Amino acid sequence: MTGHYCDLKNADVLLSCGSNNLENHPVSSKWVQRALDAGATWIVVDPRYTRTASQADIYCPIRSGTDIAFYGGLINYIIENRLEQTEYVNEYTNATYLIKDTYDFDPETGFFSGWIEEKHKYDTSMWGYQIESESDGSQPWMSAPGVPEYTPKSIKKIKRIESIDDTSNPDYDHSVWAIMKKHYSRYTIDVVCDICGMDAETLELVYKTYASTGAPEKAGTILYALGQTQHHYGSENTRIMTLVQLLLGNAGVAGGGVNALRGEPNVQGGTDMAMLVYDWPGYLKWPSVENTPTLRKWLETQPNAQGYYVNKPKFIVSGLKEWYGKNAQVENDYGYDWLPKVPKNGDIYTTIGTFELMDQGIMKGYFAWGQNPAVSDPNAKFNRNAMCNLDWLVVADWVVTATASFWDAPDMQDRKKDIKTEVYFMPAALIYEKSGTILNSGRWMQWRQKAVEPVDQAKPDYEMCDMLWREIVNLYQDEGGACPEAILNVKWDYYVDGKIDPRPVAWALNGYKIDDSTNLGAAAPELLDSFTGLAADGTTANAIWIYGGFYANNADPYDPSIQRISRRHTNEKTGQLVPDKDPGGLGLYPNWAFSWPANRRVIYNRASADANGKPWNPNRVLVEWTGETWIRNDVPDFAWGTVDAPNPPEKCTAFFMKDEEHANFVTTGMKDAPLPEHYEPFETPVEKNLLNGSINSPMIKFADNESVKKGDRKQYPIVATTYSITEHWQTGAQTRMCPVLDEIQPRQYIEISEQLAKEKGIANGDDVIVFNNRSSVKVSALVTKRIQPLKVHGETVHLIGMLHHWDWTNRYSKGEVVNELTPNVGDPNSYIPEYKAFLVDVKKA
Amino acid sequence: MAEVRFIQRHSLLTRIVHCTIAVACIWLMISGLFVFVPALAALNLDLTRFMKVTHRVVGVIFIIMPIFGAIGSPAGLIEFFKKYFCRWTPEDFEFLKKFVPYMLMPKKVHMPDQDEVKSGQRFADGALVIGGLMMAVSGLFLWLGTTIMPVSAGTLVVMRFIHDLFFLVLVVFVVAHVFLGGGMFQPYRGGTIKLMFGNGQVSEANALYHWGFWARKELEDGSRVVVKKVPEEQRKAISSKASLGK
Amino acid sequence: MATIQHEYDRKHLDERNEYKASTKAILFDSSRCSGCKACMVACKTWNQLPSPTATNSQPWYASLQCPYDLGSNTRLTITFREMESTNPGRPIDWAIGRRACMHCTDAACVTVCPTGALFYDEETGMVSHNAEKCIGCSYCRGACPFDVPRHTGSDDLSGVNIRINKCTGCVDRIKHGMDPACVTTCQPGALTFGDRDEMIAIAEKRVEVLKAKGFDKARVYGATEMGGTHVIYVLKYDIAGYELPENPGISWMTTASEIMKPVLGIGFIALIAGLGGCLLSGVGYKRDELRYDEVNHDVINVETGEVVKHIDKEAGER
Repeated sequence: MTGHYCDLKNADVLLSCGSNNLENHPVSSKWVQRALDAGATWIVVDPRYTRTASQADIYCPIRSGTDIAFYGGLINYIIENRLEQTEYVNEYTNATYLIKDTYDFDPETGFFSGWIEEKHKYDTSMWGYQIESESDGSQPWMSAPGVPEYTPKSIKKIKRIESIDDTSNPDYDHSVWAIMKKHYSRYTIDVVCDICGMDAETLELVYKTYASTGAPEKAGTILYALGQTQHHYGSENTRIMTLVQLLLGNAGVAGGGVNALRGEPNVQGGTDMAMLVYDWPGYLKWPSVENTPTLRKWLETQPNAQGYYVNKPKFIVSGLKEWYGKNAQVENDYGYDWLPKVPKNGDIYTTIGTFELMDQGIMKGYFAWGQNPAVSDPNAKFNRNAMCNLDWLVVADWVVTATASFWDAPDMQDRKKDIKTEVYFMPAALIYEKSGTILNSGRWMQWRQKAVEPVDQAKPDYEMCDMLWREIVNLYQDEGGACPEAILNVKWDYYVDGKIDPRPVAWALNGYKIDDSTNLGAAAPELLDSFTGLAADGTTANAIWIYGGFYANNADPYDPSIQRISRRHTNEKTGQLVPDKDPGGLGLYPNWAFSWPANRRVIYNRASADANGKPWNPNRVLVEWTGETWIRNDVPDFAWGTVDAPNPPEKCTAFFMKDEEHANFVTTGMKDAPLPEHYEPFETPVEKNLLNGSINSPMIKFADNESVKKGDRKQYPIVATTYSITEHWQTGAQTRMCPVLDEIQPRQYIEISEQLAKEKGIANGDDVIVFNNRSSVKVSALVTKRIQPLKVHGETVHLIGMLHHWDWTNRYSKGEVVNELTPNVGDPNSYIPEYKAFLVDVKKA
Repeated sequence: MAEVRFIQRHSLLTRIVHCTIAVACIWLMISGLFVFVPALAALNLDLTRFMKVTHRVVGVIFIIMPIFGAIGSPAGLIEFFKKYFCRWTPEDFEFLKKFVPYMLMPKKVHMPDQDEVKSGQRFADGALVIGGLMMAVSGLFLWLGTTIMPVSAGTLVVMRFIHDLFFLVLVVFVVAHVFLGGGMFQPYRGGTIKLMFGNGQVSEANALYHWGFWARKELEDGSRVVVKKVPEEQRKAISSKASLGK
Repeated sequence: MATIQHEYDRKHLDERNEYKASTKAILFDSSRCSGCKACMVACKTWNQLPSPTATNSQPWYASLQCPYDLGSNTRLTITFREMESTNPGRPIDWAIGRRACMHCTDAACVTVCPTGALFYDEETGMVSHNAEKCIGCSYCRGACPFDVPRHTGSDDLSGVNIRINKCTGCVDRIKHGMDPACVTTCQPGALTFGDRDEMIAIAEKRVEVLKAKGFDKARVYGATEMGGTHVIYVLKYDIAGYELPENPGISWMTTASEIMKPVLGIGFIALIAGLGGCLLSGVGYKRDELRYDEVNHDVINVETGEVVKHIDKEAGER
């Protein structure tokens, strides 16, 4: 979330699209209710009539997987009716920037310019800015001793038009605004309705209501979740929400933002920690063979020329110092070369690709650590069979999951004895059985104390990791091995009294000052108050820069309870209650826990005020320039200066994490499109894409793999989507072990419309078989009016909804693996699979 | 030695069934009071729970015994129904008309002859049979419906009402039955208790007093007449206990 | 007999019983409930009520409502009703309700309970229970107009272990300064706990808001029903969607059963007195010993030998 849960209460209009937040994030409803009590309007756009929809003021149905059409129509509606927040767009976005004339989009083919057929990707530089002039980008600290040598990027002055109304400017047509206007002019109400399946009246009401937040004093928030992201254009789905929010001036304001409601208690933390192939903790890029084989190359390509990301060298060097300790020196590029690099074909090491590698016999060993891919990954039956080729499999989990017992699946019984995979099961401690940090969707970090000892031999993950690590190091020391430097030079000193402990890890995550004798296991270091204290000269260490400051009380670094992360409306140093727990009355609660970055609650909060620093809405003050200083109810997300020397508003840009310090409409940052464009799901119920000549995104990943077994709309005419319910969680490995949760929702079912049920002769409660080319599953049917067929392209399209929390394991409640049906294709930016829209057929069992 | 004639009025089976039901009925009433009367229920919870269990066990006996009797003698069951469901004679009506005055002034009011079952008896026994049946059915609902065969709350409330109502009915008719049949009422003394709790025989004198029509028919028929030789001085005592009241 | 219905008059209620002014209530706002069932889990957890554990043995009712009704180990369940839509833009009117003890001021269960196992908690007004005192008569089950009381130990034919099991209002928690378990866990704010007057005031205000939003059938439930309940509902849709009786009352049969107790006592005494009179009237009654001469059809007085009665068979006498 760019905001946080409490901030939802400040919205004038809430839009839940791709999120059943009332059911799946019950805590969000608390704050949504407060917004409604204050007079807000709630819009819910969803293929199903969910409880979220039933409580909303406006409900709009939509066909699964057509969100870009919906939002594209909204953008067109805003631009056509000039409902944007003009001053915001002019001041804070790149709308007035000029794009190179190499930019183009061809609706006939559905391709943007820059397509390289042989590489099957875009040359995104074709979508770049027109540069007016360049100047030296070096800063004094870059030449200090210890800072690696590199040539910083030059600062580019970009050509602009005066404003978005500067239509007489000869370059107007190359402006981002003009390009965007033209691009979305195809997204008319009628076309959108024809694609998405809602009626024009409802759609217009939704557009009108949401666009009303373009008024400067109004705030609109978008709540989304996996309904948006789990598509092969999921990243573009997310990006188009950003475009809407920027147009309406809803980014960076209280009650605004693009708010992802995360699916797991610590998934935001997991994302921060860089669980994806290409990422380095804190949203930096992991070194790759292709682009950043050396530190110098990294430093010359990754940091921006302006704005805060000029400081990326400090983050990466501090990171390397944490990684290799005293072995990391400027002379050896701080050990950069020892890091493993993402290979050229990094894509195939993503989740989906991993199973292809197993299937091909290339990948012989696999750690499933706190995940259950035999149930949660798409095309699960293929995955399960691919796992049979493994030599060994390690599963660390709370219970024996389907992944740990993949060889025992009902359809494996015949070949069970031939499966040679050695499976190691490591019982893991549950969250209540170990201490550490937890991070919610709103980026709030809290310290969670261990409540009970782990059961039997179960161990916290970090302890298992430590045992594994020490064994590997011992083997390297005794027997040697490939790339020994990469292993033996690593600093591994997260011990207290000789035992692995999360507190030294917290020091590393926070950042600290070092000299070459620093050893965390021996004594506590000097913790840094903020990431602004990080240096690129090897004097600081930090494992993830964005967490800087969460654990910075040097009074006793061994005591998590006196750290910012443990605050309860208290001053962490004195332990006293703060006099004003909610300055501004916006639910910011700055002295409750810690919010990365820098305890900032609403990101981009400079944009909550106009160019002169005057808040758009005087009742919702995040920051305000008084003429002399900044009122700071939230931690400013701009270079505001200091109390003694505040920077005036004109020096404070709103989006200073961007190179151009302006938010992007047209971007070169995405692999698949400079502007989000509608494509159909991989398996779509329609014959063609009404908006352009490509059915699927040209950049769809893994679609050509044989294992995918694409289904045809003629053979499988029914759209299926998967989702969670309140009562169970993910693969159900934990929740199905709780009898009370099984009692309140014992059965795996699909939701099916009365019309389709009648057509197929299915009665409520019947067992049904749902099938496609990949597999078939037997589940129960819940016939309901809450699922309605949609009119799409003039035809009736049926939808079924499937719950995914079951498999063949567990003591109390068993079922089948619904993800055997989902296609293993994904998004080119995030590699997320397309769980939310695919084709099946249904018959009575 | 003198001869006294007796008529065999009830079979052994009838007596066993009646005897068991009678004891069961009394126990059911007493144990039932422990739930029916809050003060008794709260007196001692263990006692109450004991009573509740016995209520169910005895309830089973109460239900099973008539069925046992019916299976033991289907012909008897048919005969039973014939006796109770018959055309009322003028004497039957006269009996009912005179019943209350008779109960208050037995010395002055004289009852007409009756068939094997008096009209009043038909009425009272009918109430007992119907009451028992209603108690059994509602009791089963209250028992099974709260244990192994759950029923709706609405059913329970109806069944509880029936159970309570017929408890009231049974109390009246059981007490009256004991008062008369047990021979507490002076005119009814004379061995009627033996009909059910003894050998099932009624003396000629008693039979003629209570069931004139039936007694004469049986004496003429003779098949159920038993002649006993008794010492002369005991004859009267054995033949007619009622006369002892003199 | 009509149901026992009380006129809603707050002032009157206050006067009627002083302490009620400060009694507590749980407010359930159906328009805020997300149907997440966390309250059901919290109830089971706090009260340590078991769930089925045999594989796939949990009953399912082809509905989101699960368990479908209250049970021997379920004191609270959330109900889901998909009613005909009253809004063209929506496929259904989706009523989400709550089934648990309403904690009546005039509670039928307390009235019928013979042992005092069910009782009013004076301080809060909640209808609590002491299962130790329960004798398992299950009168409360039938008497409750909301069909709430359930019993544990009812799976056993003997019934000896039957004990009351229903919502206690968490008086144990309330007395330690906590809210009831269900209220504590509720995230959407559908459940609130506080002074009953305040809860009714909030509910009435909420109903106004809902009516303004077009929910014409929105209403408060529980302010007057059964003398005023200590669970106050805000109903968003028509009451038909909530498994609640429009006019809850104690069934006339339950009332009659209660009246029967004194009636039986008085009746019994009257009966004994009457029969006593008869007994006395019969004292000294003398009857002659008779014998029947079946040959001559004469009924003969044994003492005197005279013919008391001759049966004229030919005339049809018997």
